[in-house]
Amino acid sequence: MRAVYTFSLMTLHMLFRRRTLWGILLVILIALAGIASVPSFDVSNQGRFVLDFGLFGIELGSLLLALGLAANLYPRDKETRTLMPLVAVPLSRWQYLLGRFFGAAIVQAAALLVTCLGLMLILLFHKLPVPGDLLPATLLIIVEGWFLLSTVFFFSFFASPPLNWPLTTMLFIVSQMSVSEFTGLLPSAPGLMRVLRMILPHADVFHIKDPIAHGFSIEPVYFLIAVFYGLCYSAFMLSLALAVFRGRDLK
Amino acid sequence: MKSVIAMCFSAVTLVFFTGCRTDYDIEEVAPAEFLESSGGGEHVHEEFAAAEDSSTVDEHMEESHAGHVHSTGARNHGTQWFFNQPWAAPFVWGKLLRDAVIFLLLAVAVFVVTGRRKRK
Repeated sequence: MRAVYTFSLMTLHMLFRRRTLWGILLVILIALAGIASVPSFDVSNQGRFVLDFGLFGIELGSLLLALGLAANLYPRDKETRTLMPLVAVPLSRWQYLLGRFFGAAIVQAAALLVTCLGLMLILLFHKLPVPGDLLPATLLIIVEGWFLLSTVFFFSFFASPPLNWPLTTMLFIVSQMSVSEFTGLLPSAPGLMRVLRMILPHADVFHIKDPIAHGFSIEPVYFLIAVFYGLCYSAFMLSLALAVFRGRDLK
Repeated sequence: MKSVIAMCFSAVTLVFFTGCRTDYDIEEVAPAEFLESSGGGEHVHEEFAAAEDSSTVDEHMEESHAGHVHSTGARNHGTQWFFNQPWAAPFVWGKLLRDAVIFLLLAVAVFVVTGRRKRK
């Protein structure tokens, strides 16, 4: 694990030096400020609106960050030929994958925490209440972001970055659908669609913005189950990514 | 080739795992008391069902909603979408946990299967 830790740190330093991270972070913060600037026209509960859309903005930000950080990590390593000496001696393929993943995951989590802080400041600036569960809601979005990150890694081993973006975005959209909505895409084969939906992730597990915006409290047990579910699904996607990576000829 | 086998193995295991062959919406598996508490809007509208003039119905509805008070713990009308989410449905938490464990086991299985080297 020492090799994974060292390689994660290298990935972390590399990603912090890239302008992509700062660009996406800036876009998210500007979007959050824009949401809060929408005039309320004296409609009550503007705080709910800002909070709900703000958390949705952070969720979209997690998708952007996952794609921006990881979509071209493997293709670039392969193109610049830094991959071959790495996996030839110091690292095995699973160590390479985990090192890249953990490095990107830490950077993504840090960026999402900054956006959460930004949302808090925006709410305070507009003299709107800041709910105590905002941080747990962001933590669930971070776990969702890690799942998206593992999906990006999975696609990056057999798809180019321009193809990775629509594929991951499509999976993100599909994972938001309920079973009835998903079955409605192909009503002639409901059984098949229900089986497929079971294999696909349930992103609604990570959504607690509605109850938070309306002042409902979340059971801590649910929070733990949702985190566990997200981590297990990420591990599953990473194992599939590793299966593809192990089968690749790097010559 | 190994990756294709691993993916097929994952899909087949998931499909044939007893008791989780298909997915469902929360509303489909919710116990009766859960649905009753979230879909209690009918009692307001029943009294207007016999009315023929729609404008009369609207007026009655406005009057009714203006002074309508719910008993403690009863949910508001049209909020099924809000309560049919995993955080509000403890009866699906077990399914989530089960799915998570299955995905974890599959991850380990795929890792082991694809990591075995060919011996000549």
